[in-house]
Amino acid sequence: MPPRRDADFMDVDSDSDVSLPEDVRGKGKGKAKAGRKKDKGKGKAKDTQPYTWEASYTRSWETVQEDEAGSLQSAVEDWLARGRRKRLLNPATPIRRTIIRHLMLLLDLSSAMLDRDMRPTRFDLTLQYAREFVAEWFDQNPLGQIGVVGMRAGVGERVGEMSGNPQEVLGYLKERHKLEPTGDPSLQNAIEMARSSMSHLPTHSSREIVIIYGSLTTCDPGNIHETLETCMKDRIRISVVALAAEMKVCREMCDKTGGHFAVAMNEGHFKDVLFELVPPPAQHASAPRIISNSAGTGTGSTPADLIMMGFPTRLPDASPPSLCVCHSDLRSDGFLCPRCLAKVCDVPTDCDICGLMIVSSPHLARSYHHLFPVKQYEAVMSVEADAALACHACARPFPTAISATVTDGLSPWARYQCPECKQDYCSDCDIFVHDVIHCCPGCGK
Amino acid sequence: MADSRGSHLSVVLDLSPSQWHLSAENPPTNPFPLSLSSFLSQLLTFLNAHIASKHENSLAVFGAFPRKSILLYASSNTPTSDDTMDANWFPPFRQVDFTVVRRITEELDSLEGASEDEAPTALVGALTKALCYVNRIMQPPAQAIAKPSDKVDLSTLPEPHILILSVSPDLATSYIPIMNAIFSAQKLKVMIDVCQIYGEDSVFLQQAAHLTGGSYILLERRDALLQYLIMCFLSPQSIRQTLSVPTQDRIDFRAACFCHKNIVDIGFICSVCLSIFCQPVPVCSTCRTKFPMKTLQRLNASRPASANVSNRPSPSPAQSRPAVTSTNGDTPRSHGLSELPSTSSINAHTRTASNGTKSS
Repeated sequence: MPPRRDADFMDVDSDSDVSLPEDVRGKGKGKAKAGRKKDKGKGKAKDTQPYTWEASYTRSWETVQEDEAGSLQSAVEDWLARGRRKRLLNPATPIRRTIIRHLMLLLDLSSAMLDRDMRPTRFDLTLQYAREFVAEWFDQNPLGQIGVVGMRAGVGERVGEMSGNPQEVLGYLKERHKLEPTGDPSLQNAIEMARSSMSHLPTHSSREIVIIYGSLTTCDPGNIHETLETCMKDRIRISVVALAAEMKVCREMCDKTGGHFAVAMNEGHFKDVLFELVPPPAQHASAPRIISNSAGTGTGSTPADLIMMGFPTRLPDASPPSLCVCHSDLRSDGFLCPRCLAKVCDVPTDCDICGLMIVSSPHLARSYHHLFPVKQYEAVMSVEADAALACHACARPFPTAISATVTDGLSPWARYQCPECKQDYCSDCDIFVHDVIHCCPGCGK
Repeated sequence: MADSRGSHLSVVLDLSPSQWHLSAENPPTNPFPLSLSSFLSQLLTFLNAHIASKHENSLAVFGAFPRKSILLYASSNTPTSDDTMDANWFPPFRQVDFTVVRRITEELDSLEGASEDEAPTALVGALTKALCYVNRIMQPPAQAIAKPSDKVDLSTLPEPHILILSVSPDLATSYIPIMNAIFSAQKLKVMIDVCQIYGEDSVFLQQAAHLTGGSYILLERRDALLQYLIMCFLSPQSIRQTLSVPTQDRIDFRAACFCHKNIVDIGFICSVCLSIFCQPVPVCSTCRTKFPMKTLQRLNASRPASANVSNRPSPSPAQSRPAVTSTNGDTPRSHGLSELPSTSSINAHTRTASNGTKSS
C-alpha cells in the first residue's frame, strides 16, 4: 500500500513541476529540478523503514483489513479484543496511586516551535493540546495543582503560578500573544525554576514536570546533569514529549526520574502521548525511588501522610453579598472555611486565612474509582440452556448465533460475566462499566 | 425551532415494601398518606404524558427492590403481545400500564415469603442499569459502526434524562457507587432529577441532582404528586432553561468519615487512598498505610481547636440543610437549634444502615 501511494504522489508532483517552472526558468534548470525531485522520491521510499523511536508505534490505519465482504466488522472486533486484553493487564486489586499531584508544565517557546511540520504550527497545536490536557487533567485529578513555565530566549519564564483552579490555569494558556515563541530554549533554567517553585511542597505530595519540547538543542548556563541529580534527590518525575526527535539528555532525564518519554510523530500521536500522562501514576517502589532513598534524602522514607482537610459550607446564590478573602470581590455565592469561617470563591483551595485545605466531598469521591476498581468480567465460552436472554445492564438481547471469527479474549457469544454476581453483560456494557461507571450493575459495587 | 429530537426518560422507582407501608399510614402520624397503588396510578399518568408529548419520546422504567433491581419496561424492546388489545385504549399507553403493573406485582408477590428484616433496596443497581441503558440508546446503530462512510447524524439521538423516585433513606455503603454514577452521568450529559416522596432529605441524591443540573424535590404534599411530576419533571433538558423549575441551592457538601460514619466538617485524609477519618489515626484502615509519628503529634496538638468547632452548634448545618419546616406553616424556630436534630438523625440512619448490611 504505501509504495503505491508514494508513486501516485510522485506523479502529481512531477506533473506540476514540469508544467510550471519550464516556462519560467531555463530548460536545464527545470531538468535539474526534476532530477532532484526524483532523488527526493527515492528518499521517501526509504523512509518507510521507521526510525528507532518510531518502532514501538503501530500505524493503526494500516492494520485495519477489510474482510471478503468489504466489511470492517472483523477489524472492529479485533480492536475490541485488543482493548480488552490491555485492560486485563491492569490489576483489579486496589493499588496505590498518587492522588494529590503537583505538576509543572514546561512549554517550549523557542523559535523551533514556529516550525510548520504540525498544522497549523507546532506552537498553536501545543497551546491547543495543552489547554485540553489541563482540562482533562483536572477532571481526573481534582485535587491536583498545575503551574506553567515557558522556555524562551535562553531563560525560563514563569507563565503561571501553581494553582488548583482549572479556569486560572487555562487563563495562563489563553493569551497567545504573551507566549509568542522566540530565541533558544534552556532546559536547565526552566527545570530549576520549576523545581524551586515546588520546593515548598510537603513530602507526601508528588512532584512532576511535563515538558513539551520542540527544539533539538538546549542553551544552558551550567551542567544539566547536576540539575538532573537534584531533581532525583527531590523525587521530581520528569516526562518529556518531544516534537522533533529524541534527544539523549531528555531520554536520560525521563529514565532516571521514572518519567515517560515519547516523540510525537504527527498531530494525533502528539495528543495520544500527551494524554497518557493524565491518569494518576501507580505508586510503586520503583528503581529511582530506591536510588534516591539510598542517596540519603533521609526524612521522608514513607511518602504517605495524614492531611487535615475542611469540608466547606456552600452559600446559596440568594444569600446577601459579601467580600471574599481571595479576590476581595463582592459576591453572594461562595464557600465558608469550616475552621475560620472565611469566605472563598472556589474549591478546592487552601484557605487564605488559616491555610486549611478546603475540598468538597465530590472532589474526593471523584478519585475513589482509581482506588476501588471493578473486577474484570470473564468472557463466557459456553452457554447453558437457562442463561439470560438479554444483557443484565442494558437489556439488549444477546445474539443467538455463535460468532464465526473468534479472537483471543473475546466471547463467541458476546457475553461477559461478572465473577461476583454471575450476571451476563454485553461487550458495550462491559466497556462502559469498566471505563466510565466503575460500578457493576449487578452487585452494585 | 422544530426539531425531530425526542427525549428519553428513564424512571428509577424505589419499591421498598416497608417504606411504602409507612407512607400509606393514616393521618395522625402521617399528614398526607400515599399508598403504593395510588402512587402507581399517578405515575402511570405521568408516563403516559411523557409518551404523548412527542412521538419520538422513549421510556424505560427500572425498579429497585430489596437486594435486586430489574428493568420493568423499555420502549425499545419488542412488545409482548400476550395481552388482548383494547379498542378504547391507545396501544402504547396500554403497553406501558400493563407491563409496569404486571412486573411490579410479580416481583412483590415473590417477596412474600422473605424474612422479616428487609434488605435495603438496590437503588445503585437500578441507577447503574439506567445509565447503561442510556449509553446503549445514545450509541449510533450498529450498521453505522460497520460502515464508517455513512455519516451518523448526532442530532437525531434522543435527549436523555433520569428521574429517581425515592422513598428510602440514604445508605452509607452506597456512597461511592452513587458518586461514580453521578460522574458517569455528567460524562454522558444526562440530567438526574430526584423526587424524595417519603422520609427525610437524601443527601446523596441531592448531590446527584445538583451535580448533573437536575432538580431535587422533597415532596411535602404527597397527595399532589402528579402535579409535581408534570410541572417539574416532564420537560427535557433543553426546555428547562426557559422554564423555571425548582432548584435547590443549599446542598450539604460534607462527607461522612470512614471510621464512624459521622458527618465531619474537618476531616483527616490519608494521602494515599483519600480515606476520611474524624480523628488522627496511626494506620489507615483502608490501605494499611502507616503515618509518621510527627504528623500525628502535630495534628493531635492542633485538634482541640477543631474539636471545638465540630462540637458547638456551628452555622454550617443550619445553612447547608434545607429549611424543611419553613413551608409547613410552623412557627419559625431558631436555626442553630432546630437543625441539630436532623444532623444527628442522619448519623443514626447511617449507623443503622451500616449495621443492617453487616448482619445480612
